[in-house]
Amino acid sequence: MLSAQELVWLMAAVAKGDRTAFERLYAATRAKLYGVVLRILRRQDLADEVMQETYLKIWNSAGQFDPALASPITWMVAIARNRAIDLVRKKTEVSIEEESDVVEFAADTPDPLAKREMTEELERLLACMAKLDEERRRLVLFAYYHGWSREQLAARFETPVNTIKTWLRRALRDIRECLDA
Amino acid sequence: MTDDTETPDGLAAEYVLGTLSADERAQAEALIRDDPAFARLVRGWERRLGELNVMVQPVEPPAGIWERIQARIGDARPIAAAHPDQVAPAAPERNVVLLSARLGRWRRAAAGLAALAAVLVALVATQLFNPAVLPGALRPKPVDIANAPVNPGRFVAVLQQNAASPAFILTVDVATRTASVRRVAAEQPAGKSYELWLVSDRFPGPRSLGLVGTTEFARPALANYDPATISGATYAVSLEPEGGSPTGAPTGPVLFAGKLVESVPP
Repeated sequence: MLSAQELVWLMAAVAKGDRTAFERLYAATRAKLYGVVLRILRRQDLADEVMQETYLKIWNSAGQFDPALASPITWMVAIARNRAIDLVRKKTEVSIEEESDVVEFAADTPDPLAKREMTEELERLLACMAKLDEERRRLVLFAYYHGWSREQLAARFETPVNTIKTWLRRALRDIRECLDA
Repeated sequence: MTDDTETPDGLAAEYVLGTLSADERAQAEALIRDDPAFARLVRGWERRLGELNVMVQPVEPPAGIWERIQARIGDARPIAAAHPDQVAPAAPERNVVLLSARLGRWRRAAAGLAALAAVLVALVATQLFNPAVLPGALRPKPVDIANAPVNPGRFVAVLQQNAASPAFILTVDVATRTASVRRVAAEQPAGKSYELWLVSDRFPGPRSLGLVGTTEFARPALANYDPATISGATYAVSLEPEGGSPTGAPTGPVLFAGKLVESVPP
């Protein structure tokens, strides 16, 4: 992964239609975005489709990227997650579950521990999440990483869906109040 | 239950988190287009929660996606040089530079460490961690990526004397049994070495995981331990003679210790 500053620079070039920059941007970010969408979609064919749509959108919207508002990778991940979650919500859960297409992972993925980038923003977020009840923190993490709906969370946490909604909203509100403090 | 959370900000937050139904998402997307104030709320949440992507393990996508993206962009000028598959592996020296940049940032972030320590302490304090129960009970039922070796739960421990002085951050990938130790605030005393130990009630005494080097990263092997032991153990750092304990057991004072807590669910 390139540095955030290098990605900002690439993004500016992509906004001007620079295809070489776009290719470098793809090379630098594809594994992160694929990891994000595969976790949510659990099917390689769907993940492939979402990757294509995501990078098309990045190509077309790079001019709207504002480095004052988000880091490039955060912006790109948000696009990818939105595409993946839109897709997974439109499919019934059944059709996803009955699909037996086992996800194949490349074995040579880079070691995430060495590459982890603990940003100050992430530290603050984790500090605020630590103040949540254990169960609510897990709720938020499962929702973020797996893209689960309230209904799916309700089933997994064996809790009524209305309660899940209230817990989610309060947890998110608490996170915001903590971050803004 | 009274609902004091039915606010635009609550909707924006859940939209970004991804928990809305298809209908609610369509509604939120319409609001994003038509209501600049709501769109700002969404951007705020994307910024707040987006940092969580740092914890997601990269997965190399299959070859061929790039060609399809190019085809869909249309009108592609052939780009002779720099196929992405050749760009990526060319990165090792860059990684070194990046790593030191990150370490620099890590040091600069020392002020934020009190907050980080607070998280980890709070996590330790609140988590009744039972590794035998935890993953199974919460593991998703469909195609079980959780069992795939490249998609493990990630654990982190802060090794410290007290909440105000985190000394080392230990990150452990239970599935691959790898660990990284990051020195945060511990001074390197002259002529001494820090040694990392695994303490488990399954063993009569502490097991050495190796020396914590002067560099920020060390890779003590956890390959000989099963996941339940790894996730249930206490990790401790003792001060030993240079080169490590001569006896195989801690001989110096145990200065820092901590337990693992989950940072990314499986």
